Amino acid sequence: MPEDGVHDSQLLKGVLSLALMRLLADRESYGYELVTRLHELGLTEIQDGSVYPALGRLERDGHVTSRLVASPSGAARKYYRLSAPGYAALKHIERAWQSLVSALEPILSQPVPAKPKEALP
Amino acid sequence: MNQEALNKKDRMQIELAVKKIDWELDGRVPRARRRQILNELRSNLTEAAQHVGGEQAVQQLGDLKTLAKSYLEIYRSRFDVRAGAFWAAVAYFAVQLLGFVLFLAFRAGVAAGGSHGASYSFEVWTGFGPFAGKVGAGGNTFEVLIGSPAHILIVALAFAIGSTYRSLFARR
Repeated sequence: MPEDGVHDSQLLKGVLSLALMRLLADRESYGYELVTRLHELGLTEIQDGSVYPALGRLERDGHVTSRLVASPSGAARKYYRLSAPGYAALKHIERAWQSLVSALEPILSQPVPAKPKEALP
Repeated sequence: MNQEALNKKDRMQIELAVKKIDWELDGRVPRARRRQILNELRSNLTEAAQHVGGEQAVQQLGDLKTLAKSYLEIYRSRFDVRAGAFWAAVAYFAVQLLGFVLFLAFRAGVAAGGSHGASYSFEVWTGFGPFAGKVGAGGNTFEVLIGSPAHILIVALAFAIGSTYRSLFARR
């Protein structure tokens, strides 16, 4: 988490599917529980309203499957589980993510200069 | 986790939010799918409301129109009834407006010619429409077709095109 505890919402949007798939790889979950799990990880800027459609998108793409389970709170909960293609996609995306982070690390680990240098002759 | 039943206010706030989403999806997402989305949303909101209250639970969804748009991106059906109805209405009123303009022009012509009254018609065949009318004595009678087979044809075409153009021209 950054020092000021704030994450860029655009960056978060880009990695939301990855985060959801990774959480679902650990255990089956329903929408609000996934929101809570993301918040517990410190990703408190993620709104419930971006998680629910993201789950729908993952289901449409065949990365997760779902089932309804009766809930003590009333309406049935929709539990999501990572599918076999979802596992394969997760592994692929995780590799791509690690590769991206490795590629950016040499640049981003350096302190940002106060002013850009002049162009080389 | 607090499993107490929600109070009336919380339940109403949840239902209002669900209805707003339903309104945005109505006619654009197949009925069965819409019901699934709304049930899941209601279930998650109920769960959230038990922790943070109804108002906060709805706020945590963010902008409801944005949420509905996200669902539309995933589940929009190929047939958009709402867009079809909109374009059908636009087509009908456009035809009527054109008919009224033609009527005024014809009445001005009749008045300039010194006639007391006359009938006009712009029709493929009699009774088909869409434009026919009558100018009465002194050029003051208002009579324009408000419905004809041509109207029905134009409105039906506008509905058909309006309700399907998005899927016809969507990027593959």
